[in-house]
Amino acid sequence: MAGDPPVAVAIDRGAGLERGFAWLAATDHKKTAAKIAVASLFFFGLSGLLALTMRAELAQPGLQFVSDHTYDELFTMHGSGMIYLFLTPAALGLGLYLVPLQVGASEIAAPRLALFGFWIYLFGGLTMYSGFLTNNGAGDDSWTATIPLSNSTGTPGVGMDLWVIGVALAVFGSLLIGITILLTILRHRAPGMTMLRMPVFTWTMLATVFMVVASFPVLVVAMGLLLAERHIGGIFTGSTGSIVYQHLFWFYGHPVVYVMFFPFVGAVGEVVATFSRKRFFGYRALVVSLLFFTALSMSVWGHHMFITGAVKNQFYSLTSQLLAVPAGIEYLDLIATMIGGAIVFRAPMLFALGFIVQFLLGGLTGIILASPPLDYHVNGSYFVVAHFHYTLLAGSFFGLLAGVHYWFPKATGAMLRERLAKASFWVLVAGTNLTFFPMFFLGYEGMPRRVANYEPGLGDLNLLSSIGAGVIAIGVLLVLANFVVSLRRRVPAGDNPWGAQTLEWWTTSPPPRDNFTSLPEITSYAPLLDRREAAEEEQERRAEVPV
Amino acid sequence: MAAGGKAEVASTRNDFDSIWSLYLWIGIGVAVLVFAAVGFALVRYRARPGRVPSRRAELNLLEGLVAALILAIVALLVFRTFRTEANEDDSSRADAVKVDVDAFQWGWKFTYPGKGVTVIGNSNHEPEFAVPEGRTISFALTSLDVIHAMWIPDQRFKKDAIPGRVNHFDMEFDEPGREQGLCSEFCGFRHSGMRFGVRVLSDRGYERWLATHR
Repeated sequence: MAGDPPVAVAIDRGAGLERGFAWLAATDHKKTAAKIAVASLFFFGLSGLLALTMRAELAQPGLQFVSDHTYDELFTMHGSGMIYLFLTPAALGLGLYLVPLQVGASEIAAPRLALFGFWIYLFGGLTMYSGFLTNNGAGDDSWTATIPLSNSTGTPGVGMDLWVIGVALAVFGSLLIGITILLTILRHRAPGMTMLRMPVFTWTMLATVFMVVASFPVLVVAMGLLLAERHIGGIFTGSTGSIVYQHLFWFYGHPVVYVMFFPFVGAVGEVVATFSRKRFFGYRALVVSLLFFTALSMSVWGHHMFITGAVKNQFYSLTSQLLAVPAGIEYLDLIATMIGGAIVFRAPMLFALGFIVQFLLGGLTGIILASPPLDYHVNGSYFVVAHFHYTLLAGSFFGLLAGVHYWFPKATGAMLRERLAKASFWVLVAGTNLTFFPMFFLGYEGMPRRVANYEPGLGDLNLLSSIGAGVIAIGVLLVLANFVVSLRRRVPAGDNPWGAQTLEWWTTSPPPRDNFTSLPEITSYAPLLDRREAAEEEQERRAEVPV
Repeated sequence: MAAGGKAEVASTRNDFDSIWSLYLWIGIGVAVLVFAAVGFALVRYRARPGRVPSRRAELNLLEGLVAALILAIVALLVFRTFRTEANEDDSSRADAVKVDVDAFQWGWKFTYPGKGVTVIGNSNHEPEFAVPEGRTISFALTSLDVIHAMWIPDQRFKKDAIPGRVNHFDMEFDEPGREQGLCSEFCGFRHSGMRFGVRVLSDRGYERWLATHR
């Protein structure tokens, strides 16, 4: 808020309202990102409550709290909310905040487009959730809305229409935000900030927005077609209609998984480098692996369709398993950054380590799912649920928290409470693994996804999982409590509390309206570390010269 | 899709088992290696007085070696996957028992073509069909309304039932008894109740079962 006029001692109601509207309409990328953060946190909370309700129902076999129909709404809105309204916008919001700062730009490219994207996304999210207010309830055809179940015969009602429109809007809004990030990287870098001097996080964002612009329009179109199919018909018809829909959906649906992954790899990379007191290891190899990963990510979607019998399984199996190569390079670089360092265990580093260790289980089980003969058994089962929660929650969510704990002082000017942060970390680790590890066994034993009721023999593992969900909720509350406490009773952060290496730590915390009043010489992807090392060398050189 | 004629008929369960342990153990091996490397880094390179971080930031030979190693592992996995997959595609033995399956909201219809036997049931009344032990069962699966999937966990296999499309696949049931089947593709309201049983009988028992259900 550095550019704002000083606040009068007594703010009357009108002035407060005016300030609120000014904030809502502000085009500054930092304020747009803050709005995305608030909105995505709101949808995270709602979708999380739905998950807790599901776990309450699933704690024991039989139906206890909700009906079959309500349960269908719960898992549909939980998955849709978390993917369309929380992790994707949060990932892009992180980029919207940081990319201009990291490349030394004073503003995002097309700031009004970014703001428009936010409002479209928020409106889409509210549209999707407003289905709960209709007679038949909200969308209840899972986050994939497979044809023909999602047509007007299979899923009648306004709630489903609102879901389709909401998804289209939310994804369109995310697309617009992604475009502004892409333009910023291509056109607004500071003098000296060559492509191969961009920080690791900015590179992961570039790879991310490549996938956004290539795949998100396809889903917007697919949702438009689905809406037309529901009201006019004749679009996804015949024996191939349902297959065509799946191709369109997964052409978006797989790249979006990496949209929810790459930015957090980047955040974790920055955190690991900073707290290892070392520059990121294997920068150029990482860049190559990211580009290879991005290209491959556009050619693996058919692995979601192995059991349809309608795609060439071998092709998608090959491309999917090849993903292990760039993923392995990323892991190598993260670990090699730590090796030889002087590692400091602050809260952001703990969350980054949580990401590295836990995501691995999601990644390795993904290789299993990329083999059709194995997928034939575990597809559509809780094994898959465990797999993607290890990637999205145990992985991406921990990566997001690593980034949030790392950049919170920069964005707010206040430090987070370290002990509370560490406590929330360990509670979240316990809850996450208690919830999702049993699901691997449940799926293997034969428990299908998207059911409110299951065989009595699976009750014990499900109970463990439900207890874990409660523990996750406590962990999330601790994180939120930390935000509140740290903002209420502020411990000033200073410009660069962590001894970090990239440009956003050169400016004040929070940064001024135009981000920078000066820029250092940009000599590599770690310009601030370059300066410190140069200063050390200078000192050594002077020490050697006898006075 | 050549007609079958192999000396041994690999059941879907054998196909699954033959590569499951390979993938699982390689996965566990990689996980142990990565955890060990992370653990080593955290203990050996934690900050303490006098510890100066290294300035080395690139070692492209190492990156190349690791990429090559992973590529070699992937090549092995893909090779084994393709061989197993080819086995499963190789369907329709001439002497196979044929069963047509129609999935619908929310039940199953099993028809034995030419035998005059049909079993039907839904989420209120779970259907059960019989197969002879040790013989190839050739399924032709489709759906009458939305997409379903026919999953028999004991067989380690499932396939989508898609309206307007017939999917063919083979199974072999090696042990007498009952196996539980269910729908594993979300198909609406009574999805969780869309189950069926498979009774695995001796050849004589199977013939008797056919006779009583004609």
